[in-house]
Amino acid sequence: MRVLYILYGSAVLVGLSIAQYQGWSLARVNEVKNVPRSVRDNPGSYRSVYSSYHHYTGGK
Amino acid sequence: MSTSGPTPPGKPQTRALNCPGCGAALTVRSFNNAVTIVCDSCHSILDAKDPNLQILQQFKAATDKDRPLIPLGTRGKIRGTDYEVIGFERRTIHVEGVAYSWHEYVLFNPYKGFRYLTEYDGHWNDCSTLKALPDVVSFSSPPKVKYLGETYKHFQTARASTSFVLGEFPWQVRVGESVEVSDYVSPPRVLSSEQTGNEVTWSMGEYMLGKDVWKAFRLSGSPPEAQGVYENQPSPMSGEVKSIWLTFAFLLLALVVLMIGFDLSAQNKEVFTGYYKYDSNQRGEASFVTDDFEVKGHTSNVELKTTTDLNNRWIYLNYALINETTGQAFDFGREVSFYHGYDSDGSWSEGSANDTVAVPSVPPGRYYLRVEPEGDPAYGMTYYTITVKRDVPQYSFYGIALGALLLPAILLSWRALSFEHLRWAESDHPMITTSGGDE
Repeated sequence: MRVLYILYGSAVLVGLSIAQYQGWSLARVNEVKNVPRSVRDNPGSYRSVYSSYHHYTGGK
Repeated sequence: MSTSGPTPPGKPQTRALNCPGCGAALTVRSFNNAVTIVCDSCHSILDAKDPNLQILQQFKAATDKDRPLIPLGTRGKIRGTDYEVIGFERRTIHVEGVAYSWHEYVLFNPYKGFRYLTEYDGHWNDCSTLKALPDVVSFSSPPKVKYLGETYKHFQTARASTSFVLGEFPWQVRVGESVEVSDYVSPPRVLSSEQTGNEVTWSMGEYMLGKDVWKAFRLSGSPPEAQGVYENQPSPMSGEVKSIWLTFAFLLLALVVLMIGFDLSAQNKEVFTGYYKYDSNQRGEASFVTDDFEVKGHTSNVELKTTTDLNNRWIYLNYALINETTGQAFDFGREVSFYHGYDSDGSWSEGSANDTVAVPSVPPGRYYLRVEPEGDPAYGMTYYTITVKRDVPQYSFYGIALGALLLPAILLSWRALSFEHLRWAESDHPMITTSGGDE
């Protein structure tokens, strides 16, 4: 049992190290390939996948 | 479980005998050592010390007959010594109107004397009488006794009566006789005291698996499956709990070392800051791009912080972190809102005027941000700052890792506690008592 736990714990720590080194994050981010260079000059030509997000309207 | 007192063994002798009750031939295995013999046919209890085998008691076994799992006359090896099963009895206690019975087997070796095997619901104990008295631990609750440096905790005290007998016994056995039995446990051992009047006999039992009993006596088939948790049954998690928490402490130390190491080695470097304003009244294209900036080092995260002057308002920002060279973009949206006020419950606040997000696994290169703010047209002007940092430690992963390391230790501890709870549930000292509990 102890050996299994050591192996499991080591795997957790290795996973943590990879996550930290690679800069993983829990944030929801969408990766888009080949965005045209024209966006630099015409920002309005880019359509974000989050632009239709339902916005908060509220307070208490 | 406990056994009655022994009689010192002598050299075995055999003699042809017949039961004075029914005339059946008696098989006597320890003639000089037995105090009573029970006829296999009519179940008369005979005085083995009397040359005429005087009948001490006759009982009706027909309705109450019990069959030993190890037949009388079977020989086996216990702790390296050969023993023969010469006697068998069933004993019963009553707790809250419920009868609980166990079986005892008398084992005999002409040179080593007597020892006993007990069986209850598939749980076995190898028992022998003590040669010295245990010490009572003063002022302990529940009561405890100490024997050979080991402390035993009181488990149960009950009145046990003999309800069935067969074979030979080194004491004056009678059906119906009763003694007060107290058990003290320290798994895998149990100390039992049997009190009749002023006479107290102590014995020690050690837990045995049914398959080991079967192997010792070379019995065919398989032993009855053990039911529930027995009073001195060793916990399968015994020793594991301490070991796993000790290992957890080492893993936690490694986690802290990793955290310090990554904290010290992380760039955590600010690579861009921009100050902006957004007028939600203004019509037209709101999106814009920032100046480009260099993201250095190995593939790692990029943290983006939005600081606003929001006050009972919200703003939504569509962000795209775009690599100028490859065209790879990380697209995400952030809502920033901050509301506060005062009502009948007192003051309240919700949200925050600032927001931080980590964009994962961003390769090195030159990047710019495309920003598209949105807001309620009624709000007017919002001022905000965008700060970009490279390679920032993410502490949420340490929390997840800590949880993952804790989980097996907590589960094992819970299993060990459940096992002990089941063990003590049948005792005079249950771990959890109900309102109508007996403690």
